[in-house]
Amino acid sequence: MRKIWAVAVNTIKQALRMKIAAVFTVLLLILLPVMGFKMTGDGTLKGRLQTFVSYGLSLTSFLLCLFTIIASIYTLANDLSRRQIYTVLTKPIRRYQLILGKLLGIILLDTILLALFGGIIYAIAVNMPNFIKADEEQLTQVRNEFYTARASLKPAEQDVSADVEREFEKLKKNRQLPNGLEKNLGALRGYKGELRRRIELSKRAAPVGTELLWQFQNVKPQDPNQPLFVRFKYDVAVNPPDLAIYSRWLIGDDRQIRYGTGIKTPIYSIDRKDLIRTFYEIEVPADAVADDGYLVVAFLNVPLNDTVVIFPPEDGLELLYKADTFTANFVRAVILIGLRLIFLAALGLLAATFLSFAVAILLSLSVFLIANTSGFILESFEYVSENISGFYNYIFKSLIELMPQFDKFSASAFLVPGRLLSWSLLAKLALSTVCVKTVLLVLLAMFIFSRREVAKATV
Amino acid sequence: MEYAVETISLTKIFSDWWGRNKVCAVDDLNFKVQTNEVFGLLGPNGSGKTTTLKMLLGLLHPTKGKALCLGGDATDPKINTRIGFLPEESYLYRYLTAAETLDFYGRLFKLPTKVRKMRTDALLDMVGLKAVASRQVGAFSKGMARRIGLAQALINDPDLLILDEPTTGLDPIGTRQIKDLIIELAKRGKTILLCSHLLADVEDVCDRIAILYGGKIQAEGHVRDLLQRTDKTEITTGHLTHNALSKIEQIMDGEHAEYAVTSPMDKLETFFISIVEKARQQALPTSGAESKTQISDFLTAQAAEKARPAAILDKLVSTSVSSQPSGPAASPQTEQVHPVKTSKDMPADDLLRKLTEDAQPETVSSDREEPVQAQEDEQQAAGDNILDRLTGPSQPKEKQQQKDENGGDSSNA
Ligand SMILES: Nc1ncnc2c1ncn2[C@@H]1O[C@H](COP(=O)(O)OP(=O)(O)OP(=O)(O)O)[C@@H](O)[C@H]1O
Ligand SMILES: [Mg+2]
Repeated sequence: MRKIWAVAVNTIKQALRMKIAAVFTVLLLILLPVMGFKMTGDGTLKGRLQTFVSYGLSLTSFLLCLFTIIASIYTLANDLSRRQIYTVLTKPIRRYQLILGKLLGIILLDTILLALFGGIIYAIAVNMPNFIKADEEQLTQVRNEFYTARASLKPAEQDVSADVEREFEKLKKNRQLPNGLEKNLGALRGYKGELRRRIELSKRAAPVGTELLWQFQNVKPQDPNQPLFVRFKYDVAVNPPDLAIYSRWLIGDDRQIRYGTGIKTPIYSIDRKDLIRTFYEIEVPADAVADDGYLVVAFLNVPLNDTVVIFPPEDGLELLYKADTFTANFVRAVILIGLRLIFLAALGLLAATFLSFAVAILLSLSVFLIANTSGFILESFEYVSENISGFYNYIFKSLIELMPQFDKFSASAFLVPGRLLSWSLLAKLALSTVCVKTVLLVLLAMFIFSRREVAKATV
Repeated sequence: MEYAVETISLTKIFSDWWGRNKVCAVDDLNFKVQTNEVFGLLGPNGSGKTTTLKMLLGLLHPTKGKALCLGGDATDPKINTRIGFLPEESYLYRYLTAAETLDFYGRLFKLPTKVRKMRTDALLDMVGLKAVASRQVGAFSKGMARRIGLAQALINDPDLLILDEPTTGLDPIGTRQIKDLIIELAKRGKTILLCSHLLADVEDVCDRIAILYGGKIQAEGHVRDLLQRTDKTEITTGHLTHNALSKIEQIMDGEHAEYAVTSPMDKLETFFISIVEKARQQALPTSGAESKTQISDFLTAQAAEKARPAAILDKLVSTSVSSQPSGPAASPQTEQVHPVKTSKDMPADDLLRKLTEDAQPETVSSDREEPVQAQEDEQQAAGDNILDRLTGPSQPKEKQQQKDENGGDSSNA
C-alpha cells in the first residue's frame, strides 16, 4: 500500500509539475467567473442560472475529462517511452501496484480539481440572486424551479400488446390487411410495429372535446407546504393559428368524485392557454395529493381548439415535486462527473499499457466521444436496425452498452431543470460505470501490463 | 551452490510486429556469477550486453532459456529488494529534484522515513550532488544524472548490483570513484555484475570477465589468468639514489636479465584528479557535481545505521563494518590498493627482496605498476599491428625487453 501511495504521489507531482493540470486549471478559473456574469440566457434570473450551471458544469466536465485522459495516458506512456519504468520496475513493486498507484494519483488529483471547480460553480450559482436585480416573482420561480431537487414521476408505460393484437385481428377480419402480408415475416413485423406506434400515439393524443387522464401512485413530497408541478409540452396534429392551445386541467384525487366518498382533499381546476412545443409547469399545492400518495392529472382538450393535442413520449408530461435540497443534489451531480473521470482514468491507463501516447489518446478520445453521443447513436441505430441482421445488431448494441452513457446521465441534465438525482440512481450508475466497467478496464490493464515486455522498443 | 546470477541457455530473438526481421541479440548464453564476485560482461556495441541484463531483470522475456538472480526471478519483490540496477542511461523523472528522486525510490523499498532520509543524504553526499539536491533532475548534465542514477541503484544497499556501463558520461574522478566503490562493495560481500566496453574500467575492478560477441560468449575467465604474463616483472619505487640504482643494475646484470630504467610519467587520470583537487581546495565555484574524491561517507553512514540498534540494515549489510579500513576517507584516492593482485603474486620474489633491501625504505606502491600493465595489454588487444607499425620503430630503446608500444606514456622495469 505504501508503494502504491508513493507512485500516486509521484503521479500527482508529474501532472502538476509538467503543467498539465495547470493549463486546465487556469482555463477554468478564467472561464467560470466570466461565464457567470456574461451569460444571460433568456434574461430572467432562472434562465441565467440555468445557462450558467449548464455551461459551467459541461465545460468543467469536458475539460476534466480531457485532462484525465491526457494525464493518465501520459503518466504511463511517458514512463515507457522515456524508460523510467526500467528503474521503477526493478524495485520491489509489482506491476499491478504501479497501475493502481497511477490510477490513485489521477483520481486524487481529479477529486481535488473537481471539488475546486464544483465549489466555484456552486458559489456563483447560489450567490447569483445577490448580484442581479430580480423581482420577488423571479425569486420565487428560481426557488421553486431551480434551487431545488425535484423528483420526477412519469406516467407508467402502458402495455399495448393486447391492443395491437386485437386491432390486427379486427383488420384481418375486415380484410383490410395488405395482400400477402402474412406470408412475408419481415413485412408482417414492420406492419405490426407501425400498428403499435399508432396505438401508443392514440393513448397520448386527445381529439377536440376529449380528455386524457394520468394516474400517479406514491407521490411523496419532502415538504407538504411546497407545491407540486405538472410539467408538460404539447404537440399538435395541425398548427393552430396563434400556435397556442386552450386547455382545462383537473388535478387531485378523482376517486372522491367517482365513488362519492365526499371531498377530503381539494381538486384543482385550472384553465390555461399555452404555446405548442414549449415546456410549461403548472404549480399545484401539495394538498391535492391523497393520503396514500395517489394523484390524478387530467387534461381536457376544450372545444376552443380545433386540433388533436398530443403529449410526446418521454417528456410529454411528468409530475415534479421537491424531494431534496439543491446543495445535496449539486454534490451528487458533481460526484456523477467524478464517476466519469474514474472511468476515463482507467481507460487511459489501459490504452497506454499497449499503445503509444498518440494512438492511446486517439483511442480514448474516440471512446469518450462515443460515450458522449451514445444516446444519439443508439437512437439512430434503432431506425436502421430493421435492415441489419440480428447478429451485427447484437454485437453493435452490446458494444455501445459497454460504454457508459455520458449524455444520458449528465450532471446538468439534472441540475438545469432542478431534477432530483437520487442517491439510489447515483449508486446504480456508480455500480455500472465504476464497479463493473472501470474494474474490468483496470483488471485488463493490469493483465496486459504484467505480461508485456516493458523494454521492447516502442517506435 | 546458489549463484548470484545464473543464465541457462538464455536466448533472445527480436522480431518486428509481423514476426519478421529477426535479430538474435543473445544466443544460448550460459554464465554464472558467484556470490561476492565482480563479474564483467564485455563486448562491442550491439553484442547483447544490455539485452542480457534486461532479461535478467525481467524487463524483457527470454525467447528461450532462463535467467536467475539470487536464485530466483528478479521480478519477485523478495528478490529485487536485494538488487540494485543502474541502466544504460539514467532514466529519471525530470520533474523531481535529486533528493525527491532518491526519496521516491526509497519509498518503493518501504524504507522507514528515518533510514530513507539518512541514505538520501549520504548518497547525495557520496555522488557529490548535495549542493544541488533541490534542483530538478531534468536540469542536470549527463554526468550529474548518471551520478543520481548510481545513487538510486544503491538506495537499498543491494546484495547484487547490476551496472550497465556505469562510467559512461562520468568525469575521471567519477569514474575513479565508481571503481573504488565497486571494490569497496565487493569487500563487503556484495556481488557486482557490470557490463562495459571500457576495458580499463573492467580490468581495474573485475575478478572475472566474459567477452560477448554476437550474443555469444567468446572468452570467459579470471582477469588474472587471462592477462597475467609470467615472464615479466615490474617494480615501482620512490626516488632512488644513484648509488642504489647502480646496485640494482649490478644485480640485474648478474641475473643476465634485460631491463629498462626510466622514471614513470603520471597517468593522465592521476594528473586530472590532482588538478581538480587543487581547484576544489581553492573553493572555485562550480554548478556541477562536486566530485568528492571519497566514497566512504555513504559507507560510514551505513555503519552508523548499523550501529543504531533499531537499524534494519543489520540484515542487509553482511560483512562486519567495524573491520572496514577508514582508508579511503583519510587518504587521497590515488593511493587506493587495487584488487588485481598482480604484483603480489609475481614470481621473482627474492629479486624483489634484494631490491628493497638496498633501496631507501620507501613504500612500494603496487598501484603504479598495475595500470601500466593495463594499458599495455589493452593496446595489445586492440589493433596490435597498426600500433606496432606506428610506434614500434620510432622508439628504439636500449635493453628493450618489451614490445614497447606505450613507452612514451609511462615505463619502468
Ligand atoms: N527492442 C529491440 N528491438 C529490436 N532489436 C533490439 C532491441 N534491443 C536491442 N536490439 C538489438 O539487439 C542487439 C544487442 O543490443 P544490446 O543493446 O544488448 O547491445 P549492447 O551490447 O548493450 O551494446 P552497447 O554497447 O551499444 O550498449 C543489437 O543488435 C540491437 O539492435
Ligand atoms: Mg548496452
